[in-house]
Amino acid sequence: MTLASSLMLGLLLAWIGGGAIWLLTTRRYRVTQTGRFAMDLLGFPVELAQSLFGRGGVPYALLLPNMLIFGLFTFSPMILNFYVSFTGGSSIILFDRPWIGLEKYAEIFTCEDYLVPKTCSNAGYNFFTGLYNTLWFVAIQVPIMCGVALLTALVVNRNIKGRGFWRAMFFYPVMLSPVVIANIWNWVLNRKGVLNSTLGELQGGLNALAGLTGFDMMATILLAVILIVVTERALRSGQEPSLAWTTVFAVIFALLVTWANPMSLIEMGGSFWLGCVLALGLLWVVAQGGRTARITLLVAAALSAVMLLSIQFSTVFDMGRYRPNNWLVTPNTGWPFFWLVFVFCWSHMGFYMLILLAGLQAIPRDLYEAAKMDSTKPFRAFRKITLPLVMPTLTVVIVLSLIRSFQIFDEVYLLTGGGPGRETYMIVQNIYEVAFTNSQPDYGEAAAGSVLMAVIIAVFTFFQLWITRRQSEL
Amino acid sequence: MSRIGTFLTRTKGNRDTADRFGMQDFLAYSYLLFGVLIVLVPVAWTFFTSIKPERAVDNFDTRLLPYAQVETDIPGVGEKPVWIYTDETGTETLVYKAGPTRSVTDVATLDNPDEVFGVPRDTLEPQEVVRIATENYLDPLLKRNGQENFNFPTYLYNSVFVTVVATLITLLINAMAAFALSKYRFRGRLTFTILIVATLLIPSSIILVSLFFVVWSFGIFGSLWGVIIPAAATPTGVFLLRQYMLTIPDELLEAARMDAASEWRIFWRIVLPLSLPALSVLAILSVIWRWNDFLWPLIVLISDPNAHTLQLGLTQFAGEFNTDFHYILAMTVVTLLPITLVFVWLQRFITTGIATTGLK
Repeated sequence: MTLASSLMLGLLLAWIGGGAIWLLTTRRYRVTQTGRFAMDLLGFPVELAQSLFGRGGVPYALLLPNMLIFGLFTFSPMILNFYVSFTGGSSIILFDRPWIGLEKYAEIFTCEDYLVPKTCSNAGYNFFTGLYNTLWFVAIQVPIMCGVALLTALVVNRNIKGRGFWRAMFFYPVMLSPVVIANIWNWVLNRKGVLNSTLGELQGGLNALAGLTGFDMMATILLAVILIVVTERALRSGQEPSLAWTTVFAVIFALLVTWANPMSLIEMGGSFWLGCVLALGLLWVVAQGGRTARITLLVAAALSAVMLLSIQFSTVFDMGRYRPNNWLVTPNTGWPFFWLVFVFCWSHMGFYMLILLAGLQAIPRDLYEAAKMDSTKPFRAFRKITLPLVMPTLTVVIVLSLIRSFQIFDEVYLLTGGGPGRETYMIVQNIYEVAFTNSQPDYGEAAAGSVLMAVIIAVFTFFQLWITRRQSEL
Repeated sequence: MSRIGTFLTRTKGNRDTADRFGMQDFLAYSYLLFGVLIVLVPVAWTFFTSIKPERAVDNFDTRLLPYAQVETDIPGVGEKPVWIYTDETGTETLVYKAGPTRSVTDVATLDNPDEVFGVPRDTLEPQEVVRIATENYLDPLLKRNGQENFNFPTYLYNSVFVTVVATLITLLINAMAAFALSKYRFRGRLTFTILIVATLLIPSSIILVSLFFVVWSFGIFGSLWGVIIPAAATPTGVFLLRQYMLTIPDELLEAARMDAASEWRIFWRIVLPLSLPALSVLAILSVIWRWNDFLWPLIVLISDPNAHTLQLGLTQFAGEFNTDFHYILAMTVVTLLPITLVFVWLQRFITTGIATTGLK
């Protein structure tokens, strides 16, 4: 039995034994008042503090258990972390650990080139691989999740049917445990899982459709009709183009660019991205309003007509046999990383959506009514009213999700285990493996890694707070 | 034509106030539908797969209902799956396979098991019935059919113990701290408040190693108390309760003091019952945190199989029998069921509780 545990036992005995004696000598209880006695016994230290120091001592006694736990299990580990990082060996008794100074840090920082983990020592390789993967993950995941959370909050905040249900539905994954989430997605993303089979069936259906005679002409005519209708709706006469319809137009436009593949003329790939950029640019211009919006939309419509005529639909839709993808295992495809980002967003988005929703609902309604009176367009109202007013909440969300996603462990550990290779190996997994799963546990190095990670998180937080402070001053 | 359009896009309200069902609404509803596809379908799919028989799960049968192939006992041959053979004229006969599956497979009818004849493979269809595979759930739970390693009652007991005890301790000590911070003026109040805020800035994953040392030296490493105690004090809980207790009028407390009630009795008899709404929100949050907790229990409890929580047990189970997807999915459903029921039941509390605290 260690010193600390015997101390705890003694404390417990003093509480129950001493409390019972003190209470029974100072107060009287009848047998029917056993419940009251138990209650008094539970609060015995508070009662004792009151009788010894008067009412002034009570708040300290009330704070004691909470602060004791904070002190022992949050603050003292924080300080202890530094100490452990300066010691070596694999003993778990603190006094048996030899002081080695900065050796563990030096081991991590033994690198020829800090940007290439392969040139580092073994410890440095693991640490920097984890660090860069985590930084990539944070950089990709945080903007996506905040964007999606804001979009979802906006949609759910609209006057739609069954608002409570939708809100609950988007929040539901937050309630699920990482193990359950991992099992569900492992099943969906399996090589023979439901995602692959759905994609296979879809592609098979498209292939069959593309094989029909006259499919080319039919597809062209159908898309032309849809394009005409959408353009007409977007360009209602006498008004500025409607943004919602332009969104539909932009989606079709991006698809057309992808299929027409104009980048192949200069023998390059990436038509899809070109299409996305063009569509977003179109949306941006139209959202600004004015005459340029109409002209741009008309130009885009003419362009899309040209592209429509140039597309051979039967070749576009004939994609050949579908090869099932081993989403979480195949190396050098980026898919494991993508699905990690996806699953993480899936499971945490609802929480941030709720916070943003509370922020959105705090915006006074009459601002929107005033904007409606001035016939402000929805996008302008969003940019000039919603966005500035929801900005403080959005900042909180960004900071919270930044800190949260920097510490990603559960999902990675259970879905990919850091693989394939080291593609999804994150920093917390590094700390965990160094300290707890290696045959020679190296607590010193894990603690050094934790200290470095704490520094990075602190820098993140302060940088973020500094930026937002600048914004709010403007 | 335009009249039809008006009719179809009409919404509730009179001619002046009601907005038409526009493209924006359409986009919003399509987004929600997309959400259903992404959020609910995988979970529902997991459930529907977990009630399918092993063979259907192994073959990745994507039909919604749990189809199982009929098996009959053929005299002199034993249990055999039944197939439907369709000959050129379209008549269907029930057969079983007498040999391995080839392009021409040897089969025999059920009525006349000795007369073996060859048929093309693509004329055979399995004879299927809808059957809920309860064995997926019952085998691990009752430790049948070689599923002895999944000790469900122990895991469940550990999870429930950790969740209930930790929630009770959290409620008690957080309420005490919140009471002190909201209803007393004393030296160092600001310091204590700042200290509690500061704990928000220390994420649990950066103190993993040294917390391990602390927990070890307290002798609670490897026991459930090592999971319960370190996270019992939550800054979130203190602030949630403090905000609520500030709204309780001081006159109530003064009146009780007039009647010579001790401070502890005021706390227990007046403040706690009055802050029940905030306490219930914190209780729900705590239950969710504790039930779903993974990394810290993984470190503290992994060496002792008898101390595993349900989450750890499920991880080990999925790791050990990686091919038995039907059992893994069934146990996944068992694990997610309690939290889903709690959520459906208390959904409004949870969402408002989180929206008002803005903390996790």
